[in-house]
Amino acid sequence: MTAQPRILLVDDEVSIQRAVAPLLRSRGYHVDVAATGAEALTMADDSTPDLIVLDLGLPDLEGTEVARRIRAKSKVPIVVLSARGSEADKVNALDLGADDYVTKPFGPEELLARIRVALRRVIADSQETGSFRAGDLTIDYDRRRVVVGDAEIRLTPKEFELLSLLARNHDRVLTHRAILKAVWGPNAVEQPEHLWTLVGQLRKKIEPDPAHPRYLVSEPWVGYRFATGEPVT
Amino acid sequence: MISRRSEVSHLLLALASIALVTLIYTRWLPVSSAATVSTTFLLVVLIVAATSRLRVAVITSLASMVLFNFFFLPPLGTLTIADPQNWIALFAFLTVSLIASNLSAVARARTEEAVGRRDEMARLFDLSRDVLVITDSRQALSVLARTIARRFDLEFVAIALPRADQWELFSAGARTMDLDPRELTHAFAAARTSFEFDAQARTYAGHRTMLVGADSVRLVPLRVGTRPIGLLAAMGRPIEPGTLDALAGVVAIAIERTQFLEERKTAELTRQSEDLKASLLASLGHDLRTPLTAIRVAAGNIKTAALSTEARAEQSDVILTEAERLTRLFENILEMARIDAGAVPTDSRWVHPSEIIATAQGQVEQTLRQHTLSVDVAPDLPVRLDPRLTAAALARVLENAAQYSPPGSIIHVGAAATSSGLEIQVRDHGPGLASSDLPNLFQRFARGAAAKRRTSGTGLGLSIARGLLAAEGGRIWAENDSEGGSRFTIAVPAAVKASEAAAHSSE
Repeated sequence: MTAQPRILLVDDEVSIQRAVAPLLRSRGYHVDVAATGAEALTMADDSTPDLIVLDLGLPDLEGTEVARRIRAKSKVPIVVLSARGSEADKVNALDLGADDYVTKPFGPEELLARIRVALRRVIADSQETGSFRAGDLTIDYDRRRVVVGDAEIRLTPKEFELLSLLARNHDRVLTHRAILKAVWGPNAVEQPEHLWTLVGQLRKKIEPDPAHPRYLVSEPWVGYRFATGEPVT
Repeated sequence: MISRRSEVSHLLLALASIALVTLIYTRWLPVSSAATVSTTFLLVVLIVAATSRLRVAVITSLASMVLFNFFFLPPLGTLTIADPQNWIALFAFLTVSLIASNLSAVARARTEEAVGRRDEMARLFDLSRDVLVITDSRQALSVLARTIARRFDLEFVAIALPRADQWELFSAGARTMDLDPRELTHAFAAARTSFEFDAQARTYAGHRTMLVGADSVRLVPLRVGTRPIGLLAAMGRPIEPGTLDALAGVVAIAIERTQFLEERKTAELTRQSEDLKASLLASLGHDLRTPLTAIRVAAGNIKTAALSTEARAEQSDVILTEAERLTRLFENILEMARIDAGAVPTDSRWVHPSEIIATAQGQVEQTLRQHTLSVDVAPDLPVRLDPRLTAAALARVLENAAQYSPPGSIIHVGAAATSSGLEIQVRDHGPGLASSDLPNLFQRFARGAAAKRRTSGTGLGLSIARGLLAAEGGRIWAENDSEGGSRFTIAVPAAVKASEAAAHSSE
């Protein structure tokens, strides 16, 4: 990672390019702009961006298709811009490998926060160890132990599996489908009620205030995210 | 059918035959046996009975008996019957003639009935074929009544359908009659309660006869299954009850069919309007969200980022451009609502075509930024029309041309005052119109096949242009230009001043 992270902004709307590119540049990012899916794929190869901000409504290719092709070749974080207000597109993009999404209309801080989180996850991933810390929560993957503050929390095997899945992908939205498939197997993807119950149990055990979770954050209609740092709105 | 006239000739022929038989046996061929003679007479009577009416046969047999008695039964030359045997001969004559003519009459009646049936079957068949080609459901029932009157040669036919509190009548035929609604209601109520097939009358229950003045009108229930849905009234040529019932069956099916067609049309319209709503929401969603995002981010940039003067100006420009885009969208929605409500006021006045083009151009300046407009107005004679509506419509067409042709290309605008009004043409260097797009080009939310992938554009512009022009009696149409690209033509009826001088004098 260079001192100045490179961001590839993919959006066909000139007004979005003209407003968002200066915003990112003013925060110290190097910004490349692509207006079509084809252009985005070429530039993702050539300029090796550290993060891609991808609009789903592109003139030539479906944005989800662009996400899929980029993900096939690279682990670069992808933050999706969705104007359609349609949850299906978002979920689709996340399932195909996007890391996070921002729904238009968004404010500058919202986008910047998502970008920071996605970039931080890359840094954290590169320093992966046998344990994980966020706030007063510690997960020891090797010994399958979870400690909140000073107290060790007893988790069922499923609860531990869910928590470690979310923690390993911290700050990234995992769709309901992806979680169900990883924890219960491919046959369970149509049974989200398993997930709701388990998340509820887990929150009671690890959250300081289960009604207002700070770690296991719901993304309405989309999935869950393990939040490590600043709350994202 | 045997007419009275042919009956008389039959009788004469029969009498001549027995006279001839008598003549033959008395003059040229004297026979001794009365049995031979009587057999010959019987033969004649049988032939007459088989081919003619009963009364002709009876008269013939009586005449034969008299002649036989007079000329061949002893005592000859008298009408007295001495031998009781001869009473038997006489009785035989009568019996044969009665039985034979009865048999032939029955057979003839059967044939006539069969011919009549075949005729009515053919009419029914023709009618059902007519019913199948009726597709316009609004006219269907009147057309159906007319068809029945024509096919069955009836003087009056009416299809009566019960509506909430009255009868809806579709009538046809040479005569017009007033059917008493109360009697219709009564007949309908009776049809509701009885529906068995009456084997003896060979008809379904519920048939009634209703007197209108001196005419008797026959009422037949229209049934779907056993449920009556209305009444068929017929007057004129007598029709077999069975046929009437079959006729009512065809009519009932036709009514069901038109109702089905109507429902299908309504369902189709509902579905289309749902589709329209969905696509409106989707495109409005995009067209609102994108400018709002750009404005929010650009405003944030101005507020928080340390920008150069140049960059700051750039950000304000983004805000202004997007604000204008929102304004246009808002105006489009408003204009569409006005057109829908039929609330587009017109205000005609004298204006130069070049002014209209300049106004339209000004309205969509931002959209046209990347295109060059080439204007050609000849002759620029004053026309009397609503300049606001015309310019607004033209602006939509220009906007459309800019959206569908490559940046940097030229858009040609030509205007000419013709004898019937003003004609404006807009020609672009885009890909032209796909033939699949042509039928719906001016429909609301119609968007070119090529533009479907792009998310911007509501597909409102051209439909608004058409709506605005329609308000002032104008038209708009599109075609592919011979040099490539598409050509839109706006035509507005207007008075045209022959010369500039005349324009000023009247102002």
